[in-house]
Amino acid sequence: MNNPMNPFAKPDQQKPTCMEMLQTILDGQATEEQKQYFKVHMDHCMPCYKSYDLDMSLKQLVQSKCCGGAAPTDLVEKIKQQILQKSS
Amino acid sequence: MELEEAPKQNYSEKEKGEIFNQEFLPHIHSMYNFGYRLTLDRDDAKDLVQDTYLKAYRFIESFQKGTNAKAWLFRILKNSFINDYRKKSKEPAKVDYQEVETYYNSEEVDRQITPDLRVESLKDMIGDEISNALNSLDVDFKTVIILCDLEGFKYEEMAKILDIPIGTVRSRLHRARNLLKEKLSEYAKSMGYNKA
Repeated sequence: MNNPMNPFAKPDQQKPTCMEMLQTILDGQATEEQKQYFKVHMDHCMPCYKSYDLDMSLKQLVQSKCCGGAAPTDLVEKIKQQILQKSS
Repeated sequence: MELEEAPKQNYSEKEKGEIFNQEFLPHIHSMYNFGYRLTLDRDDAKDLVQDTYLKAYRFIESFQKGTNAKAWLFRILKNSFINDYRKKSKEPAKVDYQEVETYYNSEEVDRQITPDLRVESLKDMIGDEISNALNSLDVDFKTVIILCDLEGFKYEEMAKILDIPIGTVRSRLHRARNLLKEKLSEYAKSMGYNKA
């Protein structure tokens, strides 16, 4: 059952799940070898093929829409004042 | 308080000031956004960030200059939120993570829990929907999405910030993303994107 050539295999040689492989790719934590393996894997794994685009789009949307803007301008000054008060 | 087990440092007052200004303060906007997403209140977020920076300064000798200040600060903020802020407010219902994670590590999961959501409908969302859906998630789930997708932390860093094993980081992230997709899927349906 185990594929010794699978670069996602864990140290105990346990077979990685699709979810684990997809996440590693999505989150930019895959090696070149893992990327190549996953490309081929997607050709015959419809759930991974479908999930990849959706998950990647969602990740990019979260990045662009949830940044939240800048901290209030007086926050840094307040923090610095508090530190000065406590250390004096 | 430290992220890595490091010997206590012995900094002069000048060095402390330099570390604080050059290594801690550049992360203030990310910290404020994290604080806001956790508390959902701008004043509470300010207090939480302020408290975090004061603690960081107080424990600055546990921080090794030039190491991962951002992860260290995020860890302090997360702990402050759990220990101080959340105790003051109403304690939310706990999720049984062991049960969730055992289930989500099973091979059935990918087939069973793929919400009916399409890339096209995602792209029509203007921003508030994504932000509101993220805010509505349980704190532990939104935290992993913020750390990974917004702040770009690696699984290993997240494991240290959250005090959980890497396998748990992965499964919680997977669960969080599915919950987010479920929320957005409901919204997509209301926009008329429910047709195949």
